[in-house]
Amino acid sequence: MAADQNIFETTGARGFALWEIVSVMTSCLLVEWVVFSFAGKSKLVGAVPVVLALGFMFYSHRERGETLRSIGFTTDNFLGACRLLLLPTTLLILIAAIVGWFANHSLSVAPWRNRYLLLPLWALFQQYALNGFINRRAQLALGKGAKSILFVAIVFGVLHLPNPLLATLSFLGGLVWAAVYQRKPNLFALALSHAISSVTLALLVSPRLLNSLRVGFKYFG
Amino acid sequence: MTRFETAMAKPSARLVNLLIGKSIIETVVVGALAVFTFMSVFPPTFHGWGEVTSTGISGWAVNDAAPDERIEVQLFVDGNFVGQGKADQHRPDVSAAGWAQDAWHGYDFTIPSQLRTSGQIHEARVYVLHGNENGIRKSLQLLGDPISFTFNEDGTLAGTSRTEH
Repeated sequence: MAADQNIFETTGARGFALWEIVSVMTSCLLVEWVVFSFAGKSKLVGAVPVVLALGFMFYSHRERGETLRSIGFTTDNFLGACRLLLLPTTLLILIAAIVGWFANHSLSVAPWRNRYLLLPLWALFQQYALNGFINRRAQLALGKGAKSILFVAIVFGVLHLPNPLLATLSFLGGLVWAAVYQRKPNLFALALSHAISSVTLALLVSPRLLNSLRVGFKYFG
Repeated sequence: MTRFETAMAKPSARLVNLLIGKSIIETVVVGALAVFTFMSVFPPTFHGWGEVTSTGISGWAVNDAAPDERIEVQLFVDGNFVGQGKADQHRPDVSAAGWAQDAWHGYDFTIPSQLRTSGQIHEARVYVLHGNENGIRKSLQLLGDPISFTFNEDGTLAGTSRTEH
């Protein structure tokens, strides 16, 4: 107990929360930039940072006494969160439709490859990492409100670099999702909005503009 | 602090240790990846030797990791590509010296006549052309040191540089 107090007198609980965010972010960047550039498509090497990050996040939740429900894996707040997300998600669909219209991109089912069928799960995973973990730690470090929301959005944008359009859209989406999570913490509603937004972008905006949603080192490939 | 923050701000020493451990493992993974990639792209198993002859650059090249392999080599003079060939010519001195099991690891490049300007010092570099297993990437690795040479008035080459690697 005394050792615990010493550690946090030195580093500070807020600083430690930031360190947790940086650590998880580093794992994501390692997969996006280092593993893909050095090890190519080796899933085994790529799994190392992912497993480490997930293991750490799960352990952190346990150590801090967070439950699935408190993180947002719950039906509580689902409708409330959906209500808050309805307008911004509709707005995004309209913007994507307008961009697609002006870029003369015809609606195509070609992007409907197998991976898009897994999009809801992928969106839920991303929302868990972004809001279920990073947003909660950002609130510890920076407090609830504008600062932590902006911080979460910047993190989400950075993770989608160097794809300029996707990073910008991710930043904007991050602002909305982080703000909604702080008011109504429900990851299923966020994942639904995320999946709808991603499918809309993939269908309506030319893959040339979004470079097929590629990020990190793969963006150049 | 709000009630949320107070309830959450209780990380243990174990969590700190886990975070440090995670960072160390990731550092080791990145370091191992970097070394593995470097070794794959630029294997340190190539050896060779080059010298100036009266007509060009000749020498030998061996890959210790695959002693039976006939290595592809490229010649650059003053930074410009001059030629490519296989190091598969007869060089009994290479096997006699123990560098290879057989004597067929020599190469010989003739310097093209358009480079023959009297008095000017040129620099030749012989590179090993190495491809990875699936042939997606190919790299050039300098064999030994650069070789300096010049042309005599009769058109033959002269140089004293001798490299071994």
